[in-house]
Amino acid sequence: MISVQQLTKGFDDLRRGWVAALDHVSFEVQPGEIFGLLGPNGAGKTTCLRILSTVLRPSSGTATVSGFDVVTHPAEVRQRIGFMSSNTGIYDRMTAFEMVEYYGRLYGLSEELLKLRLERLFETLQMNDFRDTLGAKMSTGMKQKVSIARAIVHDPPVIIFDEPTSGLDVLVARKVLATVQSLKDQGKCIIFSTHIMREVEKLCDRIAIIHKGAILAIGTLPELQEQHQQPDTEELFFDLIERYDAKESGSPKPEIGTAKN
Amino acid sequence: MHWKNIRLIFLREVRDQLRDRRTLFMIAVLPLLLYPAMGLGTLQMSMNFTEQPRTVVVLGEKHLPPPQLLEGNRFVSSWFTHPDDANKLKVVTDTAVELGGGGLDAPLNLKLIAQAQALRKLIDEHTAFDIELEQAESQQRDPSQGPADESLIAVSQRIADLKARQAALDRELIELFAASQIQVLIVIPDGLRENIERVNRMIAKRQTEDITNLSYPRPTIVKNRADDKSVVAYNRVRDVLDAWEDEILRQRLADLGLPKELPKPVGSVSRDLAAESQISASIWSKMFPALLVIMAVMGAFYPAVDVAAGEKERGTMETLLICPATRTEIVLGKFLTVMCFSMSSALLNLLSIGGTGKYMVSVASSAGKGVFAQGGAITLPSAPALAWMLILLVPLSALFSALCLALATFARSSKEGQYYLTPLLMVSIGMTVFCMSPGIEIYPVHQASWFYSVMPVVNIALLLKALLLNPGNTGALIFVIPVLVTSIGYSMLALWWAIEQFSSEGVLFRDGERFEVALWLKHLLREKEPTPNFTEAGFCFVIVMLAQFASMGPLQQLLMSAAPGEVGLQMMKLMLIQQLTIIACPALFMTLLLTTSVRQSLRLWLPNWKFVAVASVLPFALHPLVVELMSSLGWFFPKLPPGFARLMGAMGDDEQPLTLILIALAAAPAICEELAFRGFVLTGFSRNGRSGVAIGLSALTFGVMHMIPQQVFYATLLGVVLGLIAVRSNSLLPGIVFHFIFNSLGVIRERVSAHLANDHTEKFRQSFWHWFATIDENGLHYSWLTLVICSVIASLSLWWVWQSGRSKPGAVTVNNLLPSEFTPTTSHSTSAS
Repeated sequence: MISVQQLTKGFDDLRRGWVAALDHVSFEVQPGEIFGLLGPNGAGKTTCLRILSTVLRPSSGTATVSGFDVVTHPAEVRQRIGFMSSNTGIYDRMTAFEMVEYYGRLYGLSEELLKLRLERLFETLQMNDFRDTLGAKMSTGMKQKVSIARAIVHDPPVIIFDEPTSGLDVLVARKVLATVQSLKDQGKCIIFSTHIMREVEKLCDRIAIIHKGAILAIGTLPELQEQHQQPDTEELFFDLIERYDAKESGSPKPEIGTAKN
Repeated sequence: MHWKNIRLIFLREVRDQLRDRRTLFMIAVLPLLLYPAMGLGTLQMSMNFTEQPRTVVVLGEKHLPPPQLLEGNRFVSSWFTHPDDANKLKVVTDTAVELGGGGLDAPLNLKLIAQAQALRKLIDEHTAFDIELEQAESQQRDPSQGPADESLIAVSQRIADLKARQAALDRELIELFAASQIQVLIVIPDGLRENIERVNRMIAKRQTEDITNLSYPRPTIVKNRADDKSVVAYNRVRDVLDAWEDEILRQRLADLGLPKELPKPVGSVSRDLAAESQISASIWSKMFPALLVIMAVMGAFYPAVDVAAGEKERGTMETLLICPATRTEIVLGKFLTVMCFSMSSALLNLLSIGGTGKYMVSVASSAGKGVFAQGGAITLPSAPALAWMLILLVPLSALFSALCLALATFARSSKEGQYYLTPLLMVSIGMTVFCMSPGIEIYPVHQASWFYSVMPVVNIALLLKALLLNPGNTGALIFVIPVLVTSIGYSMLALWWAIEQFSSEGVLFRDGERFEVALWLKHLLREKEPTPNFTEAGFCFVIVMLAQFASMGPLQQLLMSAAPGEVGLQMMKLMLIQQLTIIACPALFMTLLLTTSVRQSLRLWLPNWKFVAVASVLPFALHPLVVELMSSLGWFFPKLPPGFARLMGAMGDDEQPLTLILIALAAAPAICEELAFRGFVLTGFSRNGRSGVAIGLSALTFGVMHMIPQQVFYATLLGVVLGLIAVRSNSLLPGIVFHFIFNSLGVIRERVSAHLANDHTEKFRQSFWHWFATIDENGLHYSWLTLVICSVIASLSLWWVWQSGRSKPGAVTVNNLLPSEFTPTTSHSTSAS
């Protein structure tokens, strides 16, 4: 469903010169699977997902969604993904209903289908109380619901969540996670990026630990725990990062290097 | 491109803007409230101003001759052209004050009379000095007139003494008058009435022998020219007194039984043929184009900032970018929104201004007050004029909307967006000021008309000026086509730029990174790349232009200081220096400082010899074509200033050695300009992967560098050819060869023309060469035969150049030449290619 091969993205920085935000990253995600991208802030998660959503162009490497290349067929890719992140805001001067309806139309849904989808979405996400509230007047939780509804209004086979729970209180975060879980149950192919271990443990079928633009380890959680003899996810995460940093700065700790795809 | 998406985005944006209080306020509420409020304020101010009567003091009222001049504390209103003006002057007379009149004002009047009498005393003294001075001066000229015992020295001393005392008196008078509350003082001398009546009687009895001596004391009017209030009052008093004096004169004529018209033997009558609608049209034609431009900018700017920078700031930009709508569709939707608001804002503003203006004028004229009192009623522009305004507003708004949208997309936040308004507005205001200048017009057709008709913004403003002045003006209508075509062209370019901005991830995802000049410079010098980038290339052009601007003054001075016979020589030297320092140096220094590969940046490779061969044939074919094209386009461009033509003449002068001219005018430009424009600038512009755009831009910069409209035009055309050759051959050499030969041909043509014009014209006409060229007062011209042959050769050569680079995949240049679809960098923007 999603296939990422040797994806690299660099940019020019005044202070640091040429910086690789993504460094030869490869992974694949299947339908009905939640793939977790776990990494600290600035690891390259957002850059990777932005390339998948065709908003950024890769410096090299390829990425395909449902068989469509993100560079050569961006329109087809955008039609098949739902993307939600903390950066995808909602309009202040539009009501919840108008917002979701607007995107439904942009995705080319027919009016009857759109009406059906809207009714069902507002029902399942319990958004009917505030369907006529302007974006500016909504609480963070309401906004997040609208964002999710907006991302899945066209019923895409692939859904990308980029830190969907950042800045949310536990109650709202829990509801968001429940929604992600139910989408998985519908057979969607989901990428879920986060820096919170608990969410990964709870949701993800497979994870990739990403740091400084490179994938340090990839696999199911039990696989990784076994591979690195570390039953605690958090410890595993810090171990991998520390070893990578140590290797970067020159100390000989080579064993993790092989995990890098 | 789906219209459905554009419509969706457009409708959403419009609704969004209509829900935004700030935009609504700026676009609709402000114009509808501001102008009426301003109008009200102005009216009120002008009322206050006119209701304040000015004080005129008359001393010696009882000595005034008939007919009656004063009536209570006013002049008799029949002496005024507009009888209401009588209220604007308050007259205080000594007679009235002595009788205890004036009511509430009595104490003030008393004070005024006291001040006036003090002034009168000084004036009398002054007059006495005048008489004495005159006597002394006549005595100085003719000593026999005065007392015999007074020496000439004593007389001149007396004159000096008198003058000094008079000057002191003057100072005292000025101070006293300034301190008083009198605007105009009229002093009627004692016995004026008797004197005039005496003369009247003498005239009636026809005692003409005594009439020759009419020297009796005359009234004095005191005013202060530096004080506006005094000037206004004086002008009114002057008119009143003139009218009154005319009446006295008429009375005398009547007494003699002579016709009243006697003192005016010519008595010409002036007739103003301006109809009221014409006066209004003239006012509108000056005001509306300028207002339309400024309102279109303002109306476009705020919505543009909100839909582009505002969307980034509020974090909804990324949401929009991941929807299936393409960037072009998004930009078009937003562009239409901005344009819609720009147009409605401009129209609302004009409507409000027009309405307020008309209303104010009608109020002012019915009250007989204010500035417009004499202007009569103002009619609104006619329906055709308004229709033209609407039609021309479309391309104007389109241009500004696209420009604003591009700028606003570039901005990181609304705040940053606001900063870009000032320069845009300043440039627009500059253009409108230019258009409002009285001599600047597109019609009647003159040398610069066609040139004006293709200048952005100026063309629309000037055409509108002509059409508002006379909507039925069929002569000006021929300009509608070039104005509309070029304006739409500029709008498309600006829109393309906006789409480019929207497709650039560097612009869309600009971080709020801290910017430090020192850090940036360090970065530039440390992180060098093999070739310059787009910004550096642009900057190089800016430096060349600034250096050229700065050097204009000194170069002109050096040229002026040259001896008359050596102007040509001096010019050559200066041209050489200019080429080396202003054009070559910036490019060379920037290459050394900012890039790692001088060779690659300046294309210092050896080319395929075929390119050199083609580059040395092509100029021979292009030269006649360019010469004839430019001479057939002579009507289009503004005339060259005479000084420039003289200098050009000096260069073609036979006196100069040909080698020197060729070095200064052909070799130096060939090397220096190629280094800069086909080297650094073109390489930099090519970095974004699109050679077509790069060639176009480098040609445009190359053209603009030539400054003079004619040269800008053909240099841009040649720049395209040179750019193509440079990109295809990946070498500077063919360009240098082409440039050298082309410029040399220009010089040689001048020489040959001068030579033939002198005495060989006849011989030339009979020679074999007359098949190819003719000679007239403008020099050598090429025949149709030559042009056809040249066109064929030029087309073949250009076609060869065009296809030759493309067929060699794998060469260094080919990366730049690939059509944009093949490079990943551009595939996102469906529009751009």
